[in-house]
Amino acid sequence: MTRTAAVRLAVLAVAVALWPCRSPAQITVDRATAAFRDDVHGAGGLTCASCHKVDAAGQPRYDAMPRPSIAPMCARCHGDAAYMRKFAPQVRIDQYSQYLTSTHGKRMAAGEVRVATCIDCHGAHGVLRVSDPRSPVAPANVAPTCGRCHADPARMTPFRRMDNPPADWAVSVHAAALLKRGDTSAPTCNSCHGSHGATPPGVTDVVNVCAQCHVREAQLFRASPKKDIFDALGQAECLACHSNHRIESPSDSLIGLEKGAVCAECHDETGESAATIRTMRGDLDRLSAGLSSADAVLTRAERAGMLVDEGRAALRDAREHQVQTRVLVHSFAAQPFDEAARLGIGSASRAQEDGEAAIRELQVRRRGLAVATLAILAFLVTLWLKIRRLPVGPQDSTRA
Amino acid sequence: MYRRLREWLEDRLPLADLVDALRHKTVPHHRYSVWYYFGGMTLFLFGIQVGTGALLLLYYRPSAAEAYESVQFIVGRVPFGWLIRSIHVWSANLMVASAVAHFFSVLFLHAYRPPRDLTWMSGMVLLLLTLAFGFTGYLLPWNQVSFFATRVGTDIAASVPGIGEFIVRFMRGGKDVTGATLTRLFGFHVAILPAIATLLVGLHLLLVQRHGMSTPPSVERRAAEDPRTIRTIPFLPHFLLRDLFAWTIVLALLAGLSTFYPWELGVKADPFAPAPAGIRPEWYFLWAFQTLKYVPPTVAGINGELLAVAVMGAAAAGAVLLPLFAGHNHGSRRIVVWIGTGALGFMAIMTWLSLRGGQP
Repeated sequence: MTRTAAVRLAVLAVAVALWPCRSPAQITVDRATAAFRDDVHGAGGLTCASCHKVDAAGQPRYDAMPRPSIAPMCARCHGDAAYMRKFAPQVRIDQYSQYLTSTHGKRMAAGEVRVATCIDCHGAHGVLRVSDPRSPVAPANVAPTCGRCHADPARMTPFRRMDNPPADWAVSVHAAALLKRGDTSAPTCNSCHGSHGATPPGVTDVVNVCAQCHVREAQLFRASPKKDIFDALGQAECLACHSNHRIESPSDSLIGLEKGAVCAECHDETGESAATIRTMRGDLDRLSAGLSSADAVLTRAERAGMLVDEGRAALRDAREHQVQTRVLVHSFAAQPFDEAARLGIGSASRAQEDGEAAIRELQVRRRGLAVATLAILAFLVTLWLKIRRLPVGPQDSTRA
Repeated sequence: MYRRLREWLEDRLPLADLVDALRHKTVPHHRYSVWYYFGGMTLFLFGIQVGTGALLLLYYRPSAAEAYESVQFIVGRVPFGWLIRSIHVWSANLMVASAVAHFFSVLFLHAYRPPRDLTWMSGMVLLLLTLAFGFTGYLLPWNQVSFFATRVGTDIAASVPGIGEFIVRFMRGGKDVTGATLTRLFGFHVAILPAIATLLVGLHLLLVQRHGMSTPPSVERRAAEDPRTIRTIPFLPHFLLRDLFAWTIVLALLAGLSTFYPWELGVKADPFAPAPAGIRPEWYFLWAFQTLKYVPPTVAGINGELLAVAVMGAAAAGAVLLPLFAGHNHGSRRIVVWIGTGALGFMAIMTWLSLRGGQP
């Protein structure tokens, strides 16, 4: 070994000996400290000692807290209106009382520590505001957060729970609205189940859950004869036709007596409702066909450069009525559905007429152009003949 | 009645002298004569612009709140409003095409030679004014595409050092494209530019009358060898009837385009909406628009866009002043032909690249 190599080896040995060595506990503390720098509590002036117990020497103890003690510990502040008002005057303080009514809270109180508590959803040391898109409980992140447990068969099987709701929701019309269109008002897990008081809604309460957004549909359903029938049968109201987590975009084909239509699951051609169901489906189809046809004519006229603003206005009106008729299906009665459908079909007809009038006007213009072109051509021929008959000018070689 | 009216007019105006002068005026007639008609065609289209523009003014309202709706009213409710508006827009485009054809034909036939240097310069300024007409008129319907294209177009001026910001504010009438820009560009489009253009057209025509049509050097050389190879035709009626023939063809083309391809109005401008995809200026600015896309951010430490704008400005200035340093000898004229061919090819390629959505 050369002298240089020996020196290098000695330097390496000293460096390894002096390298700071951290215990696993210290690493945990360091990570928590780093995460706490971005924590909403840290920004509010809280410190480690605000949550962690202090030992006899006055130093916080960083060993893991018992899971049942976490929610009460958070509630010391989050349930104190006077304290919380300092940070946000409108902040809610009922999270803990809600938690106690939730399935999670009840099981935790019964000694089942595997169920969710505050830190499982919000995080422990890097808690962010719900309005922060990085937060695990921000609208777009709620389903993956719940899915950490509710999509895990190993965690759900002991509780005899299904592990497919997050996957079903992910292909629903609601997920598309939230994740693809970025509509943060679109429902995710907590919108229907609650957040701190999370629990599955009862069969007869489903309409109240859906009514948070689908107000008119719920009003019509509650006033319809279906409400009492469903309650008597123990049918889960909205879910009977629309499913629960895997809610697809509704289409007119849901109505009807043929295979695939949801009405056909309970009704057939022999029932009293068959005529109403057929009428509803017929009106919906006529309205839909009228809209498509009018839109095609108006588009053709527009592409030809015609202005069809009145037709477009009528088409918008027809679309409004189409939305109304689809909502009025939830009355499960011929009226007022028929009236809205009649108005919609009338508006679609007006749009169609406006488009056809524009096409006719276009034909008139083209005929006018043909006549004008003939006149211009005749003039051109006359001019040409006149030019041909003119004598050729004199030779002039003097021009420069 | 007609005779008495003519006598009454002749007593007061030098009509007989004018007709006599036109009867004695002659125009060279040779294999390149067809290019002479593009000047008359441009003038004819300018006349159509003035006529249809005046009719549009009866209903058009130059404010951000009413401009789009007023054009919508013209197109949808005013009898033959669609036709007038469409002819106005199509004739504007044909006028640019005709003016550009006139420019290159005069360039390649070397008609800028003395004593027609001032005719060339006035024509060049008229060509630039025609482009300015296109730029100022583009925003007037106040639709989405024209709004954002005007924003992009006026932004280019900001790259001029020192006075760039001032030019942008002057063109926009403020910091951004707003209703003030619309009113300002409308003022330019219907008052300032037409006033200057009318004066220059008058000067241009006067100079054409004074010096006559230029005969290309190649025809002159052949005439020197054989005087029978160059001929002339009387302006009245020979040339005028041929001019009328060309104008009638343009009129038929305009009628067809306006009926089969009426100019779309588009969607009303929304200053708060994101810029729609595929924003680009009128076809005659596409070559410059595409060139700016290929220019790197900096060239030898100089702002690339500024450099490109400076080169284009220098080229335009050089074109205006062309007769001062070319035209006296055959060698310089050959260089002009090469440069002109290169410029035409470059503009055609850049326009084609822009139309097919080429990105650097």
